[in-house]
Amino acid sequence: MKADRLRALNVPQQVKVELSECGDPAFVKRGPENVKRVETVGETWRVDDEWWRQPIVRRYVEVVLEGGGRVILFQDQLSGEWFAQMPT
Amino acid sequence: MARQGSSSLPLPFPLALLSPDTGRRLWQVSPVARRAGVKPGMTVSQAIGLCPTLKLCEPDPVHYDEQFSRLVATLATVSPVVEPAELGRAYIGTDGLEGLFGAPEKIVEMIQCGVRNAECGIANESSLVKSALHTPHSTLRVGWARGKFVSWVAASRAKPGQAIIVFPGEEGEYLAAQSIAVLPLDPDTHRRLLQLGIRTLGALAALPEEAVVSQFGRAGRRMWRLAAGRIAEPVVGRVVPEPIVAALTFYSPVGERELLARTLDTLLDRALKNPRRIGWRVHVVCVRAELEHGASWRATATLKDPTADREQSPPAGAVERLAVEFTAFAPGTAELQLFARDANAAARAGRRHALKSAVREIELRIKRPMLYHVIEVQPWSRLPERRYALIDYEP
Repeated sequence: MKADRLRALNVPQQVKVELSECGDPAFVKRGPENVKRVETVGETWRVDDEWWRQPIVRRYVEVVLEGGGRVILFQDQLSGEWFAQMPT
Repeated sequence: MARQGSSSLPLPFPLALLSPDTGRRLWQVSPVARRAGVKPGMTVSQAIGLCPTLKLCEPDPVHYDEQFSRLVATLATVSPVVEPAELGRAYIGTDGLEGLFGAPEKIVEMIQCGVRNAECGIANESSLVKSALHTPHSTLRVGWARGKFVSWVAASRAKPGQAIIVFPGEEGEYLAAQSIAVLPLDPDTHRRLLQLGIRTLGALAALPEEAVVSQFGRAGRRMWRLAAGRIAEPVVGRVVPEPIVAALTFYSPVGERELLARTLDTLLDRALKNPRRIGWRVHVVCVRAELEHGASWRATATLKDPTADREQSPPAGAVERLAVEFTAFAPGTAELQLFARDANAAARAGRRHALKSAVREIELRIKRPMLYHVIEVQPWSRLPERRYALIDYEP
């Protein structure tokens, strides 16, 4: 038996997102060779949390990428950065 | 007389054991973690919120069962009447021991001495929590009193490594100052008593018994009598199985070693399947043979680790009648037994054994341990990365 620190599951991975004219994600770039087109945009929602210490403001978008992969993207509304997460 | 185990963890960093049942709540916490506000029963997220550097350990119930069995076996050398109540709590019947050891203080001393020996055995094995459980002095608490309840209260109020003796006739006075939290009550009854302004056993015992019964029914009568020291439940010892014998008489004397070995195998199987053996592991095996011309042969083996595995039993020699006898037993927890006396412990041991095999196989395939235990941290969180976390898994 050994003691261990917690390691979070489903940590967001930073990605680059190219938006369409209407502001929805059109392409998701995880690396120089890994660019995927967004085929379908599903639900979108917003999370405002922890305003009392370090505010978290995120806009989530559920997308289906080319090839059929379902991913949850969110944009940190404070920094403008995009992240990808596995759907739960 | 009751004995209460406590697990003080003298570690420099905050450490907590997860509950063996759910894995979501904490079971035991080290003093450093306690100082940071972490308490047993908290959720992992609450604890991490209070103490971000908290390290978590998976519990090892099989190891605890084994150590507790060892402890109970040690106590049995002081008194033949030992009643294991739950993990960490055992009652010892001391009636009649005055003739052997003297006053209650001496009896308590004998028990503490036995306990210290058992703890030394525990400390010889190394692992984080095992070493965490070991302190230079005993962490076990002893209470001596008439009846199980009073002795349990005394043990729970004693400091680690120390004992409290409540002499006959002093039970009422001793209990009067104790909190009602020591009573075996459901949370609702406990809350109702607090709402009625009853905070000590003395306050409860001062009420008329019938008034308590009219409020709380049969449970009320029991708790009033416990609070007043009117109940002295005796310690009920476990019945150790009588020796188990399996024997076979040959029609004509047999000298062939192979046939004798096969017969011995059959007899061992038959003895192990005896219903009286369920829940017990064999500690001493005796093989007897009646030879031609009235001679006899006998071999006795004390197994270093009590077992229910026939492979560890010794072979035999000669031959008109061959008998296998199991003469001493130890409580069995390291094997899966459907009808074990301690079914939960046996099931846990079985699951742990199966997991260990699976882990060994996975490690052989992927060459390095990459097994983790998923625990819920904030399953209600709107942020997915806050909901679950991993800790290393090592069965």
